[in-house]
Amino acid sequence: MNSFLEFFSFADPNIRYVVFGSILLTGSSAIVGSFTFLKKKALVGDAVAHAVLPGVCLSFILYGEKNPIILILGAFLTGWVSLLLIDYISAKSKIKEDTAIGLILSVFFGIGIFMLTIIQKSGNAAQSGLDQFLFGKAASLVGTDLIAFTIIALILICTVSLLFKEFTIAAFDKEFAATLGLPIKAIELILTTLTVLAVVVGIQAVGVVLMAAMLITPAAAARFWTEKIQTMVWLAAIFGSFSGLTGAYISYIAPSMPTGPWIVIVVSTIAFISFFMAPRKGIFYRVRNQKKIKRQINDENILKALYQLGEQEKSFFEKRTVEEILQKRIFDPAKLKAGLKRLKRQGYLRNKNGHWSFTRAGRDKGQRTVKLHRLWELYLTQYLRIAPDHVHDDADTIEHILTPELEARLEKLLDYPTVDPHSSEIPYR
Amino acid sequence: MIEQAKDPVLEIHDLTVSYDRKPVLWDVDLTLPAGQLIGIVGPNGAGKSTLIKSIMGLTPNSSGYVKLFDKNLKDVRGKISYVPQKESVDWDFPASVLDVVLMGRYGKLGLFKRPRKADKDVAMDALRKVGMEAYINRQISQLSGGQQQRVFLARALAQQADLYFMDEPFAGVDAATEKAIITLLREMSARGNTVVVVHHDLQSVTQYFDWVIMLNMRLIASGPTEKVFNTELLQETYGGKLTLLSDVGELIRRERFPSREQKRKKELKQKK
Repeated sequence: MNSFLEFFSFADPNIRYVVFGSILLTGSSAIVGSFTFLKKKALVGDAVAHAVLPGVCLSFILYGEKNPIILILGAFLTGWVSLLLIDYISAKSKIKEDTAIGLILSVFFGIGIFMLTIIQKSGNAAQSGLDQFLFGKAASLVGTDLIAFTIIALILICTVSLLFKEFTIAAFDKEFAATLGLPIKAIELILTTLTVLAVVVGIQAVGVVLMAAMLITPAAAARFWTEKIQTMVWLAAIFGSFSGLTGAYISYIAPSMPTGPWIVIVVSTIAFISFFMAPRKGIFYRVRNQKKIKRQINDENILKALYQLGEQEKSFFEKRTVEEILQKRIFDPAKLKAGLKRLKRQGYLRNKNGHWSFTRAGRDKGQRTVKLHRLWELYLTQYLRIAPDHVHDDADTIEHILTPELEARLEKLLDYPTVDPHSSEIPYR
Repeated sequence: MIEQAKDPVLEIHDLTVSYDRKPVLWDVDLTLPAGQLIGIVGPNGAGKSTLIKSIMGLTPNSSGYVKLFDKNLKDVRGKISYVPQKESVDWDFPASVLDVVLMGRYGKLGLFKRPRKADKDVAMDALRKVGMEAYINRQISQLSGGQQQRVFLARALAQQADLYFMDEPFAGVDAATEKAIITLLREMSARGNTVVVVHHDLQSVTQYFDWVIMLNMRLIASGPTEKVFNTELLQETYGGKLTLLSDVGELIRRERFPSREQKRKKELKQKK
């Protein structure tokens, strides 16, 4: 608890640098990354991240010391060249974009590692720490780094908010944007430049290898929660910043823990949780929804069986045993029992001494299912010309999904028929 | 059978378009009249979409030029609207129906500016015309094919243009939507707008269009429907490709041959 207070009071300037540096880096790269994600260019971010390494090394070789501004300039240059090369190769040759990305990534990264090795062997004392570009050095950020990051983060955020509408249309429908007369090439060039800038600052926190995660993962996680692009970008920024903050905190309480990888682990966890928990799109929601549908089908089938029993004996409110129901229709006994209990709880059935009978609402619901089944059978034979002995299975499914609105349309279309293709009566209320 | 229009809204002069050097449209030369509903028909791969894309400046022309309202495209963009094929975009994009229709206003808005209240009014009006006013806040990922097409049409209407190019607006829509769309297009042309539509269904051509363009890698006919839409020209359009023509095109691509001699291009530039 003590360390928690100590950390979040931000009294220690080192903590301040690390925390605000990490938040700026992760937040702003998440914002820019949202558009990379929407343009389905996730891998491009990875290629750029690897391609900045030779730039970093080159500017160190030329300048001789680790000045953050100079290193950023070098990184920016090769990152940008790599993107132009990817575009050029995929436009002008037979090589497809994915191959071009793979080529550029490995060639640039290979050159970068080669140069890094030369620098390390050169005996220049100033080189120590240059290899931190590989995995990030968020824990050792200093005041001058923070100033540089703040400026770049501000540039990124301001440009995105100014050109939000243009970036959106470029991601959704580039050709249409071009026909409107929007300078689409310039807009894309700006977005490219922002992506490179985001990568260049981001690698200082999480390193070359993990940078793609910072660009893409927050946006991918945010996409699960919203259908609004503004909300998505905000959420991505929040997810990114939160992981920056948490990563910094974890490496503070456990000093042997590296900040960068922890940032990535936190943001990946957020993405993982989104993947499972998000409403509508999450796995849990879908599984739960599937279960709900299965329950509904099961229960409606029980009511249908009871209704059909009633039809046979022309007495709908008779008490029935489980065996009688099972004779009418095959159920898994456990599911039948659960369904009967549920229907009782919902007020569709009554139970007295193990005998089940309809309530009025239950009879109506059973009747509706039977009616929909027979209407659909009739529809299939009349409009799809399907033989009457082939329509049953189809109707067994469709009867559970038809909405009252479709029901009304079906009735009208078939002109309120009285019997189905098997001459069973279609019951109306 | 190529009939020239008086006071044309569109003039295409000797246009050749190539993909990867292979010409897909050869020397198209035509003019279109104002205020009419115009259909472009032809078999698959005839270059119908290519023709309107190249008019909209989306594919580079190998030779020839296009004049709209007697001007170059970039001087009259505000008066021209383009409806791409609905499959050309990813409908699982985080946007609402209104967001997409508002994009039709971006050209008039210019850079940096956010849509204003007036732009929303225009977008709402456009949505009403296509019968989608009940869906303004619906996510585009939840639309049916016919609804997607209506949204694209509304976006075009929001541009308030004079000349519309539509790439297969009837593809993959239900009968009710098709009827609604054709009624709307008729109203537009009655108001003096020119609407050019890439169309697939030959049965409805005489019923829908005042003017027909028949394409199959080259222009076969362009003129009033009752004059050009006949068996003879249809046979010429649909009766197989000119194999010699496509073989020459293939050769140009394989040999990496320039589709026009460099010298002439320079001359043309000097003339301009």
